[in-house]
Amino acid sequence: MEVSSLPISASHRAKLISAGYISISSLSSISPAHLARDLGISENEATGILKVASQRGGPERTIPSHHSIVDGAQTAWDMLHEEESCRRITTSCADLDDILGGGISCKEVTEIGGVPGIGKTQLGIQLAINVQIPLEYGGLAGKAVYIDTEGSFMVERVQQVAEACIKDMQEYDSFLRKDLPARQVNLQANDFLANIYYFRICSYTEQIAVINYLEKFISEHKDIKVVIVDSITFHFRQDFDDMALRTRLLGGMALKLMKLAKKFTLAVILLNQVTTKYSGGSFQLTLALGDSWSHACTNRIILYWNGNGRYAHIDKSPSIRSASAPYAVTGRGIRNLASNCKRVKLILRARLAHDEHICRSLI
Amino acid sequence: MAPLKSLESEYPIIDSDFRQFCASHAIFSVEDFLVHDIYVLMALAEEHDTSDRLKQAITQVLSIIDAQHQPWLDGLQLLGYSQKSKSILSTGCERIDAFLRGGFQEGILTELVGPSSSGKTQVCLLAASNVTKSGLGRVLFLDTGNSFSPTRVAQFVSSSSELADTESSKILPQVLDNIECRSVFDIFTLLDVLHQLLQNLRYQVGQNLRMLIIDSVSSLITPVLGGAGTHGHALMASAGFMLKKLAYEYNLSVLMTNHMVAGDGGMIKPALGESWKSIPHIRLLLSRGVLNNICSMSILRHPSMAIGERVEFAIL
Repeated sequence: MEVSSLPISASHRAKLISAGYISISSLSSISPAHLARDLGISENEATGILKVASQRGGPERTIPSHHSIVDGAQTAWDMLHEEESCRRITTSCADLDDILGGGISCKEVTEIGGVPGIGKTQLGIQLAINVQIPLEYGGLAGKAVYIDTEGSFMVERVQQVAEACIKDMQEYDSFLRKDLPARQVNLQANDFLANIYYFRICSYTEQIAVINYLEKFISEHKDIKVVIVDSITFHFRQDFDDMALRTRLLGGMALKLMKLAKKFTLAVILLNQVTTKYSGGSFQLTLALGDSWSHACTNRIILYWNGNGRYAHIDKSPSIRSASAPYAVTGRGIRNLASNCKRVKLILRARLAHDEHICRSLI
Repeated sequence: MAPLKSLESEYPIIDSDFRQFCASHAIFSVEDFLVHDIYVLMALAEEHDTSDRLKQAITQVLSIIDAQHQPWLDGLQLLGYSQKSKSILSTGCERIDAFLRGGFQEGILTELVGPSSSGKTQVCLLAASNVTKSGLGRVLFLDTGNSFSPTRVAQFVSSSSELADTESSKILPQVLDNIECRSVFDIFTLLDVLHQLLQNLRYQVGQNLRMLIIDSVSSLITPVLGGAGTHGHALMASAGFMLKKLAYEYNLSVLMTNHMVAGDGGMIKPALGESWKSIPHIRLLLSRGVLNNICSMSILRHPSMAIGERVEFAIL
């Protein structure tokens, strides 16, 4: 293995190669003092280089005894089982949950984009609340991280949505569990608010810094199950002169978010804005940040207006079929687009003790 | 290249006397040695007292250099070699198979390029499920965007098989066991994984690996490409060379996906630029039409087919 593939600084790399250390095996049995003398750098820097080299290559391995082809690989069969036991975050809208296969899945990065006023922040707030629904109501009992770049997070609205969620849980209790003794929902709206970690970002460097910091933050708060970035575009659209730099930064950020989603089994939700693109002789609406960014997410949902109704369309997904569903933004949060009667609209994927079924809207 | 003194531990004949002799002719490393005229060096060694040892040392260095390259092969040997050991793996879709004259070939790198949501990951998942379902061997899937979906692979296995439902659910565990997925989130990890794979294959672990899929290689390279310095290009080139070596020496079919970026005049072009163009042997452009199920594949680069030929297919 070559020294040029080590993640070290360019000047160190140049010094190593000119001193003749081309392969990592040549660094395996050398002392930091010797290396420092050869390269003309400090002993601390030499120790750093040797540490990186020992992590990467090391001596040629003896015959490995494990079954998998490379370290860290998982068979598809194990992954299938993990996926089946992984819960999804409901959006509180039955139609939307249906087309998503139950809700937003953890371990994936989902991008949600749409015109201003379509309900992206509302959906983000709803998901930040819904991730906290306790396990017995089919939720994940997790916490949320909300990264706000635009300042559109209104605490009064979050309180309103939280109170509506608690009321829905109480109604579910009384409707579906009428044979069992009444169980009090011991949650207050303040408990929901306490479980949302909020970061306010004012520039793109802060945004990159927060995303770098998230790995450490989430490893200290292991029950975070969703990270919402509202919106990922805002600071990258204005004042960016160097487009190549922007593409590189966005690419790096996308990989870090993917790594977070996979490592901590959480859902990452990125809210995006729209822009116009001239293609095929006409101007079309597409999501912002360009073509390279469109590959940074696992799933993509586009929110749009159709007449007077709001619709969500699955634009990209490796496992879900493309479909559209209507939804509404009500005083209680995101709900099914339905008429005026008062109904219990709690949609969950209840995993009660012995039966698994999806409870749909009643009556 | 390595300085001569680093060779001393393995080849004691390259001792300090020899190095002093070389130094007197401004030869300090193997590169200097190659650049110098060997006959002149031999003649100068004659005039020395220890001329025999010096000439032995010169021959030793030359044989070390000779051992670095692969043996020469003639065209007939190459043809027999490729016909015998490099088979063609079906892609799982009949129309694509007919278009590509059988499917994805072993020993070469195939790249799938296309705008977002044009079916690249679907083709990869379909090919992986087909290889393992036909019992041809194992598949390694390197995933950079958490887009490997075992449920989708299971769907492919059960839908395309001619067996009854109960039988296909019986073979599902074995089939899925033969696909391994590894998440990779930066280029250095990719190089490490490829190196490890080379080592393991050399020691014959994972011997029936037939296909290596990287989805997507462009998302790993884009953050390091460009900017100050050419290190990004070097990493891209070394990844390409390692993949070619893996494909050629161990008869793997390597499938990579790439995305598109905006080019001149509003047209889109494949990402990663001009230097990457020569690395994959076959480049296929995918696009999805207005009707969401119909995708089309056309040739951007192929050793034996014309550019621009295309086929339409649907993945259900």
